[in-house]
Amino acid sequence: MSGLSSTFRNACAEAAAKPAALASQMAVMIVNDAVWVVFWVLFFHRVGTLGGWDAERILLLQAVLTTAGGLSLGVFANARRVGTMAVEGELDAVLALPVAPLPFLLLRRIEPVNMGDLAFGLVLFGVAGHPTPVRTLVFVLVVLASAVLLTSFLVLTGAMAFFVGRSESGELGFHAMLLLGSYPVDLFAGAIRVLLFTVVPAAFVSAVPARLIDDFDGGRAGALGGIALAFALAASTTFTLGLRRYTSGSVWTRA
Amino acid sequence: MTRRALIEAIRGSAQRVLAEPGGLLVSLGFYTIIVGTLAGLWRVAAHANGGDLGGYSAVALTWYIVTSEAAIVSVNARLIEDIGRDIAHGTVAVELLRPASVLAVRVASEVGRGLPRVALLWTGGAVLATVVAGAPPRPATLLLAAPSLVLAIIANLLGQHAVAAAAFWLRDAGSAWFLYLKAVFITGGMIIPLELLPHGLERASRVLPFRAMAYAPARLAAGHAEPGLLVEQVVWIAVLALAAGAAFRAGERRLQVVGG
Repeated sequence: MSGLSSTFRNACAEAAAKPAALASQMAVMIVNDAVWVVFWVLFFHRVGTLGGWDAERILLLQAVLTTAGGLSLGVFANARRVGTMAVEGELDAVLALPVAPLPFLLLRRIEPVNMGDLAFGLVLFGVAGHPTPVRTLVFVLVVLASAVLLTSFLVLTGAMAFFVGRSESGELGFHAMLLLGSYPVDLFAGAIRVLLFTVVPAAFVSAVPARLIDDFDGGRAGALGGIALAFALAASTTFTLGLRRYTSGSVWTRA
Repeated sequence: MTRRALIEAIRGSAQRVLAEPGGLLVSLGFYTIIVGTLAGLWRVAAHANGGDLGGYSAVALTWYIVTSEAAIVSVNARLIEDIGRDIAHGTVAVELLRPASVLAVRVASEVGRGLPRVALLWTGGAVLATVVAGAPPRPATLLLAAPSLVLAIIANLLGQHAVAAAAFWLRDAGSAWFLYLKAVFITGGMIIPLELLPHGLERASRVLPFRAMAYAPARLAAGHAEPGLLVEQVVWIAVLALAAGAAFRAGERRLQVVGG
């Protein structure tokens, strides 16, 4: 455990070593997120309420998504790179260490750009999420569940590369999850809606958590926690089984 | 410099893209997810507003989105960053040794990369639009949309080169690509037709070059027979070519003085 906490401290120190670069990269992502917020405000300004969603609720969804995305892609930055590292044979250095490989990988690197997502999401919730003590508590809990789910999904799709030998599935899964997660799920029907709740569980990353903040429901909260736990177990198992098929690329990296 | 060099650059790049069908299929998969979702959103919005939004029906909005996304997804989104890195690392300095314009060959190569992609994506998008929404509102306007897509790609590439030329002085184009892409998102009409923007923003977008990169072909594919859009694209291409050319010439002079 101390090895993992040292790893995480090291990753934080590395990211903070260049404060100007950290600030500029965060600023770029904040602008990116702001453009999406502008789009959604323009969209709902034009079309009014749609399927129970309006500008206010979509801002809450964006706050959940960007905060959870910031945690997953910023703090656990290697989650997105598992597939590439598996295919390129870049895990040698990790496997030689006396720590569990997956937690080490996830804590090893912080991505400065996505820390902008984290900052943006927190500010957006503070500004547009009507924060009360109860809503803030629910926000924190659902964001944590959402981040676990998103990270697990990225690891799971990335670890598929151990078996299929290509890393594109991880990258496609990443884009699909973030893109679909930014939409209000109630606007979709049929196959897309089923997809959003199952294979690419984007609804549980953003729409369901956002609804829980507005209207807490024990059943939905349990479903969110259950899905996050199930994906975490699936990701961990797939990664562990995949390591048995890992082939070294003779590349000594710091992961 | 010869026309033949540019044609070879286009052909060589296109052949390299076609030699990697796996990459094309990943692009198609990514594009299908984006278009399926975004077009679905706009269809729901149109239906909820009596079937019409700013003069676009649900079917027209679907064809708009498949075309605007095809125009943008076909081009390397991070080209500005790549060009900046090539300038900073001296790759461009080596290219100056060739008896051909660095800018022209680079743009021609990227056009070559973009053409097979846009052909595949737009075809895939057309199939998707027909299945989920219906046939194009006015099939004849697709004959205008096709050349407009090519012009949109050229305008986008020239715009990216004009911005990336800043790296001759700054040594790094950094994350400018991110901001450029976001400008195309809204003021280029990539994810929202310009007619649906608030009045002030719509007026501003009409005097910016980004509308030549996504809005023009998308508007045509949505069934609006407005050939003037093609003329406007050609004008923007000329303006952007002049700007990129001037920036690269000045930058190249600086490279020759300072070194690559």
